[in-house]
Amino acid sequence: MAERIITLCYRKIIDATSPRPWDKLVFEDTYGELRLQAQVFNTDGRFRTYAELLHQVPGAGQLPFLVSAVVRGYLPQLNGLIPDIVDNLGRHFLKFSRFQFEIINSDLRDRSRHQVAINFYSDALCWHDTIGTLLLVSEAAAVSESGEWLTHLVPVQPYLSVYSIQQPPAP
Amino acid sequence: MERKNFLKSLFVGAVSAPAVLAACSKDDADTATPATTGGTTGGTTAGSCTVAPTETEGPFPTKVPSSYVRSDIRDDRTGYKLTATITLMNSNASCAALAGALVDIWHCDKDGNYSEYGGSGMQSTNYQSVHFLRGRQTTNASGQVQFTTIFPGWYSGRATHIHVHVYSATGISLKVTQIAFPEGSGTAVAAVGGYSKGMSGYTYNAQDNVFSDGVAQELATVTGNTTDGFQLNISFAVPA
Repeated sequence: MAERIITLCYRKIIDATSPRPWDKLVFEDTYGELRLQAQVFNTDGRFRTYAELLHQVPGAGQLPFLVSAVVRGYLPQLNGLIPDIVDNLGRHFLKFSRFQFEIINSDLRDRSRHQVAINFYSDALCWHDTIGTLLLVSEAAAVSESGEWLTHLVPVQPYLSVYSIQQPPAP
Repeated sequence: MERKNFLKSLFVGAVSAPAVLAACSKDDADTATPATTGGTTGGTTAGSCTVAPTETEGPFPTKVPSSYVRSDIRDDRTGYKLTATITLMNSNASCAALAGALVDIWHCDKDGNYSEYGGSGMQSTNYQSVHFLRGRQTTNASGQVQFTTIFPGWYSGRATHIHVHVYSATGISLKVTQIAFPEGSGTAVAAVGGYSKGMSGYTYNAQDNVFSDGVAQELATVTGNTTDGFQLNISFAVPA
């Protein structure tokens, strides 16, 4: 099989039930920031949910970008590695530098209905093979002089997807 | 499992950190920078017990008061340095200095582009630079905030400007406004010359659809030069 260059996307959902400390901080800060930023689009306080704002107010589509400003500070704490996704040895290994923040839904008066997602996009990987439900990958940026490549086995799992694929040019 | 146990072992530190940091979250911008530590800095032996080595902070989180809080908002953007000082007064309290207010500013880069809005909003972005030329500060006891940024460029239809949004300490929106720049010979706008775009097609304040009704209340004082950078000062009142 020809080796292909892929990037993976992990869509991390964060809501009121998220148990981990990092997730809770992101949850609280994005909710606070949404309430702050939404005031521009909700001047008379008529709307209560994010869905209403999105449908009724021109420009409210900027909210995910505006709110994502508070997420930015938490990303360096991940030390450049996508959270939650581990290889078959149980280690974090997926490097990222790109992300996209989404507001799934929210309620300006009920924080329990606040739900967001952070999409993490991995750096380029070389996809060598598939073993059962495991992808055999190595870092595309890695350089090997001996022809030996260090690899990871990644389990295919919910919320993890192949985001892009690059076929090698035809010979 | 490994990670779960690792996190569990850090649990005490992880939950106490937010409380401590939250207590000083009103301090100033310096608290916004997430603490990062390098690798192992070495364990030491004291008597019969060994002090644990200091390790990299790893995956456990620390509370960022608001990562948007920062005084240098340049990120990867280049241009003539601009130090912007904004002083706020409370029009509901005899124009006394307004302390503790949140001040957001944003403006375009030297080529007239804003962070994100230039491209498709649905694209993924590099987290290091996604919010260039945007930031938040909390006013000090004198009602002042200061940002380090670059002199804004311009885009079609608008005079040079900086957007400002002021919130009360509790996050209530108090004012959305824009800062205008003096123009004409000898001004900073003339010295910068619109960067690489030049001034052909530039919209002056009198023709600007936001500023054309008069800029007296919004006009900043801008001094300096292209070698040493520029200083912008403006003060205005908001009802708090």
